[in-house]
Amino acid sequence: MAKSLLIVSRQAPWAGPAAREALDIALAGGAFDLPIGLLFLDDGVFQLVAGQQPQRIEQKDLGANLQALPLFGIESLYAARHSLAERGLTEEALSLPVQVLDDTGLAALLDQYDQVITL
Amino acid sequence: MSMLSLGERQIPLDKDGYLVDRNDWSPEVAEALAAQEGLTLTPEHWEILGLLRDFYAEFQLSPATRPLIRYAAQKLGPEKGNSLHLNALFKGTPAKLAAKLAGLPKPTNCL
Amino acid sequence: MATLHLLSHSPFADGRLNSCLRLLGAADGLLLCGDAVYALQPGTTQLQILEQLPASIALYVLEEDLQARALPVPARVQAVDYPAFVELCGRYAKVNSWL
Repeated sequence: MAKSLLIVSRQAPWAGPAAREALDIALAGGAFDLPIGLLFLDDGVFQLVAGQQPQRIEQKDLGANLQALPLFGIESLYAARHSLAERGLTEEALSLPVQVLDDTGLAALLDQYDQVITL
Repeated sequence: MSMLSLGERQIPLDKDGYLVDRNDWSPEVAEALAAQEGLTLTPEHWEILGLLRDFYAEFQLSPATRPLIRYAAQKLGPEKGNSLHLNALFKGTPAKLAAKLAGLPKPTNCL
Repeated sequence: MATLHLLSHSPFADGRLNSCLRLLGAADGLLLCGDAVYALQPGTTQLQILEQLPASIALYVLEEDLQARALPVPARVQAVDYPAFVELCGRYAKVNSWL
């Protein structure tokens, strides 16, 4: 049985390479059918904002890439409730269907995976 | 870097034979690339190349094999969206070869 | 499956400690190294919060990083050297490094 991996993505989309790297790990794992979960935490939730125009700052379209996650077999997507609330984001405004978790849910989620990597 | 000759045109390719500039792509370029691979493109090939270009337009990346199969199954049905059909069309490496012929970047998550 | 969380950024410049505290499980451990040891600065909210964590959560600090910054070891926290750090990583089911 392959080990499950939770990827915690906590950087804003254009803050540096971290958001892209977290997604690349997820897609690579998904391509090999590994059990992968992806949690958007802290500024990472800004990756989920719909309608971003990365071409204006000459960045690749991370938002479009994120939409491919279900096709890569990655459907365990989560966001931290407090991170959304702190940033004035609501679940309805997000570009991907994610499960929104409170603090207790986050601890339980972490517990559930064999490995965790935070970027 | 190598060149693809197409009539008068010289089209730059990277070390793996993918187009350097995606804007160089045309159906004629696809046919020339296919010829280099010893393939003649049939309507069934074109259907997958079109699908891949749709995938790229939607997600801004080239799919690995599994997501390509899933996407083909969604859009074209299970008779087309399975590894047997895609492997038969593209010499056993559909994600890599079809991306090349469709003028897309090499799939990054495909070893 | 308890997790050992590793922190290395100053809690006064960065939100990692706060986020980590939110998802800390009851059997998890927390190891501070690098500038994260500033969380043990006496008289700060950060230290107060750490001291109030349930006893089931183990707190560790890398001794040399603490000494380098002239900080005392609070009673609630266990100071470890590098061999003990490595041993700890093996003792938990997984390690989560807050990069």
